[in-house]
Amino acid sequence: MNTNPDEATLALWLDDELAGADLAAVEGWALTRPEQLAAREEIRRWRATVASAMPAFEEPPYPDFFNSRVLQAIREPAPAVALRARSFSWKSWCMPMAACAGMALTFWAGTKATTTPEYDVAGAPKAIPVEPVVYTPENGVDAEWFASKEASATVIVLKGVAAIPDDTDFSATVYLPAEREIDSTANREVKPAMETEQ
Amino acid sequence: MNKPIDETSKVAQEPVGSVDPDAIMTDPDDDFRLVALAQQGDTRSYDELVTRHRGRIFAMIRNMIHQEADAWDLSQEVFIKAWHALPKFEAKAKFSTWLYRIAHNTVYDWARKRKIESAGEFNDEIFERERIDSASFTTPSGGEMPDATMANGELRVKIQIALGKLSPDHREVVLLKDVQGLSYKEIAEAMSSTLGTVMSRLFYARQKLQALLKDEYESR
Repeated sequence: MNTNPDEATLALWLDDELAGADLAAVEGWALTRPEQLAAREEIRRWRATVASAMPAFEEPPYPDFFNSRVLQAIREPAPAVALRARSFSWKSWCMPMAACAGMALTFWAGTKATTTPEYDVAGAPKAIPVEPVVYTPENGVDAEWFASKEASATVIVLKGVAAIPDDTDFSATVYLPAEREIDSTANREVKPAMETEQ
Repeated sequence: MNKPIDETSKVAQEPVGSVDPDAIMTDPDDDFRLVALAQQGDTRSYDELVTRHRGRIFAMIRNMIHQEADAWDLSQEVFIKAWHALPKFEAKAKFSTWLYRIAHNTVYDWARKRKIESAGEFNDEIFERERIDSASFTTPSGGEMPDATMANGELRVKIQIALGKLSPDHREVVLLKDVQGLSYKEIAEAMSSTLGTVMSRLFYARQKLQALLKDEYESR
């Protein structure tokens, strides 16, 4: 090769991506350019260094569970998307109007009702204040219930409950749902504008 | 005269899914055959594809975001999205390259959502080393720890620290090229970018990494 290879071809050669006639041509050109041969060796050494330190393949934790979660997700039917065609039938504008008219009529009828019906409640049974009963799920545990209207407080005292160990981790009893919206962007070309100058 | 019918070749050449039968025959990875079956709804074939590729996708995402738990979830998203997009896969690129592209979009979508949720500006903070899970045994353990970690001689940690100082695009191109071993063309497909952009990013990313790892690199 008498002429210099273009930048793209040179980059491919430096990364050992050329083959065939293209490779032979650049190899011939590089024979008299020890700096290019050194640059290629440098890149080879760099790749070997990185590859030795960073695994290209790393099983995710719990790989079987990983697969089963994926399969479970893909077997679930996709949520049905209700695509309602826009229609301009009489229902689309008549029904809201009918609803408004109905509400207005009901309101008008309510204002015209001047008499309230009277019911004889003398014979009706009266509410009897009932002392609340507190049930305890454990035998040997008694519960007493106190209420104070003045303090707006209700207190339940449990007697006979075993002491809670100090090492009890209450945070472990809290359920935090892991929400992640899964959207379909597989066929979308995303070009985030987040490249920064190095 | 009737020719004997080779049943295996007949099956292989029948059009299945949207994958070209010729591509199935010439695929050295044997992925396209499984893809074609998966496109017909065969979940066992897809399970096999997941098993084959989950390690690379997980490693790639984990090296991008440095958080194992999120990398696990995001890797799953990649395979779930890939399943739903499978009817559109036409075997014009390797199945693995296609997965890397979905992984690229998934990670950037995740980063964008995280940024929106935190109501901050959209920058590289999510990918910063300071956000790395300190409990993770393969990642650096804090802002002031690089000196300590440099002393322990673990090259992977040092490289990860250096990678954390790159922009996400530069980090991704290094991971795809020097760790995952993709060609320039495959990286351009995975990142929806041009060949020239990939070459430029890789050149500058390597320069910066080598400068950051100067001591370590020269001693080897």
